[in-house]
Amino acid sequence: MVISLDQLTKCYGEQTAVDALSLEIPAGQIVGFLGPNGAGKSTTLKMLTGMLEPTRGQASICGFDLRQQPIEVKRHVGFVPESGAVFESLTGLEYLEMVAALYGIPPNAARARIKQFIAFFDLSFETLTDKLLGAYSKGMRRKVVITSALLHNPPVVFFDEPLDGLDANAAVGFKALIQTLAREGKTIVYSSHILDVVERVCHRVIIIDKGKLLLDGKPDELVAAHQSGTLEKLFTQLTGGAELERRAEDFAKTFRP
Amino acid sequence: MSSPAAPPILPEPPPAPEKTLRRLFLTLFLRGRGARGLNKQGAPKSIGRKLALTLVFYLLFGCMALYFVRQSVFALSVYLHAMTFVFLGMFVAASAGEILFNKEETDILLHRPITPKTMLWAKIRVLVEVSLWLAGAFNLVGLCVGFGAAGNWRFPLIHVVSTIMEALFCTGFVVLAYQLCLRWFGRERLDGLMTTVQVLVSVAMIAASQLLPRMIFRLDHVLNLTEASWWIGLLPPAWFAGLDDAVAGSLALNSWLLAAMGLAVTSVVLWLAFVKLARDYEVGLQTINETSSRRVKTRGGRRWLNKLVQLPPLSWWLRDPVTRASFLLTTAYLFRDRDVKLRVYPGIAPVLIIPFVFLLQDGRGSGHQPMGFGVPFSGLYLGMVPLLGLQLLQYSQQWQASDIFRLAPIHGPAPLCHGARRAVLCFLALPMFVLVAGVVWLLRGDLTQLLLFIPGLIALPVFALVPGVRGRGVPLSMPSDTAKSAGRGLSLIFVMFIALGLSALASVGWAQGWYWWLVLGEVVLAAIIYTAMRLVLAKARWPALN
Repeated sequence: MVISLDQLTKCYGEQTAVDALSLEIPAGQIVGFLGPNGAGKSTTLKMLTGMLEPTRGQASICGFDLRQQPIEVKRHVGFVPESGAVFESLTGLEYLEMVAALYGIPPNAARARIKQFIAFFDLSFETLTDKLLGAYSKGMRRKVVITSALLHNPPVVFFDEPLDGLDANAAVGFKALIQTLAREGKTIVYSSHILDVVERVCHRVIIIDKGKLLLDGKPDELVAAHQSGTLEKLFTQLTGGAELERRAEDFAKTFRP
Repeated sequence: MSSPAAPPILPEPPPAPEKTLRRLFLTLFLRGRGARGLNKQGAPKSIGRKLALTLVFYLLFGCMALYFVRQSVFALSVYLHAMTFVFLGMFVAASAGEILFNKEETDILLHRPITPKTMLWAKIRVLVEVSLWLAGAFNLVGLCVGFGAAGNWRFPLIHVVSTIMEALFCTGFVVLAYQLCLRWFGRERLDGLMTTVQVLVSVAMIAASQLLPRMIFRLDHVLNLTEASWWIGLLPPAWFAGLDDAVAGSLALNSWLLAAMGLAVTSVVLWLAFVKLARDYEVGLQTINETSSRRVKTRGGRRWLNKLVQLPPLSWWLRDPVTRASFLLTTAYLFRDRDVKLRVYPGIAPVLIIPFVFLLQDGRGSGHQPMGFGVPFSGLYLGMVPLLGLQLLQYSQQWQASDIFRLAPIHGPAPLCHGARRAVLCFLALPMFVLVAGVVWLLRGDLTQLLLFIPGLIALPVFALVPGVRGRGVPLSMPSDTAKSAGRGLSLIFVMFIALGLSALASVGWAQGWYWWLVLGEVVLAAIIYTAMRLVLAKARWPALN
């Protein structure tokens, strides 16, 4: 297994953000990692990328133990955080070259690789060299963040809301890219609230709520087993969102003059 | 879209990222963290030019060491180390929070193959490196003066060593303060606590930089400034000056004791900051972005403020709902926002210091003339507080949120400017007036002296309208990075000249018996100018978006 979690737990004081999560993910799988706000998705991803230390439990990535070999784990993962944070006072090229240097990619190889990504994302090299990241649009910035996550060719990639800010064409291209990467053996963990995309792209879906595992399986099988019709309806059933439509109707009535 | 070609292979053995991180943090430090809103032309492209200008400024300021040409090595060294301590302390205190605990940085760097310890070291290296450049520029003239004063080559050499020690001490001390706060109070309270500490340190350093040279130049008359004075051992700059004197000056035993104290304290501070408590930094960095499980205690403060604006006289003054909302927003940022607090309070600290300097000089120089120039000047000079405060309050890291002002159905920025102006008058200008008035009363013991504040109080509403007069004083509406390059000088110089002129007239008028006629004239003139400015502001429309 490429990713393995055993009773992984994260507590903040008395609050348990991730509660004894155990699961295994093989190579070449695209896993949709779902849950309502505050379910513990981002905390789990941050633990698996070595950003946060678990309170209890074990996890390994590509055979490297998260606690014992955090640097090796980090060398084998790429991460697109939800925040899409970048150093805004660097140009796009400076930023990507800095990231490449942190992974020890030689400058020439890094530059060549960056040019490939620029071509893929339809960015101009002049934009990358002349403009500070602070002046980029949200979509352009997201493209740079995705590039920085894939630059070192990691076998495992974690995406937290990767489509946020991407236009329709870029989003289609991105979905095709991760499907191709998975076919070539990379493991993709994809966290998103856009459930129809997850349903179409992912081989497997994991739903968590309040830090606990609720469901784990293939999207079509889960939908069929729960007779919910769509993944979105299944998700709302499981996470207490079933009443939302009625509540929205009631609330909308308050706008009547 | 074209498909990507074969990617590079992860290099073996693992890379050493120290150089990359050092370059990154140095670039970020010199350019500023957030360049949002800066276009290509406005971006700080030349790091070298910016740095060179700063170093030239420090070099010129270091020329004050020429005053010590004929003084002892110890006196010169105390001066050099005291001023270096102030500059470095101010620089490190102001930069450390942003450099050490940047929230966005965790999402960018912590999942890369680097340890928090490597990051800490790279940041400390940058802090020390830049500190040493600044210290080097400031001390360059002092080195030559010291060579002349000591009459040997040992002074320049040992002064370089003692300055490096001092830079390490300053950096280590500030980093240690952060780590201790993190350990004792937890990350939830770190931000607020360290903001307060940073503000206080910055204000203290600015105060010291204004008062210290005056103190040192007079010290020989008040205290016997030698390495043998018992109290000198309490001052960190004296430890490093002791090292200079021990090696290149008097070679006295007391100087060796001071040097030993400096060495010991610096070693302990560095060990605690970079070895013993390094783990606390790692934990703090990892959890800085996590949602706090504790409830932030702001409800009490909010309730207090909401009650205050509903009571007279504020309820009368803030009848307009937009003005009241702007007042509450500005007040909240003045009390809560780290970025705003770190810009506003250290920014106006020198304004508070200058009246004290004038009051002290006035009191000392003219003890037989109770009505000097100092009191009216202090009152008028405080007119800079709302002016500067409002100018600094225009900038925020959340400037993009100010789009909501333009979306709201209001014709122009006038009510927002009025709200911000009134908040600054209530919570910055008024407390400062009370403080300075208290000092005047304590120094002179005569309440009638406070009448000389009246010209300042009359001018205050006019000064406070200046930033908003062309609709430019909308609070929190500009990127914080542009604050560094904003031209504020002209309006401040204008206020300074008015303060000087009116103070001179007031002191002469008081002495010659026509003071109240002057006050009457000022009231009439201020009323006309104030009305005209309010009319201009009321007609102002939203400035163009850049």
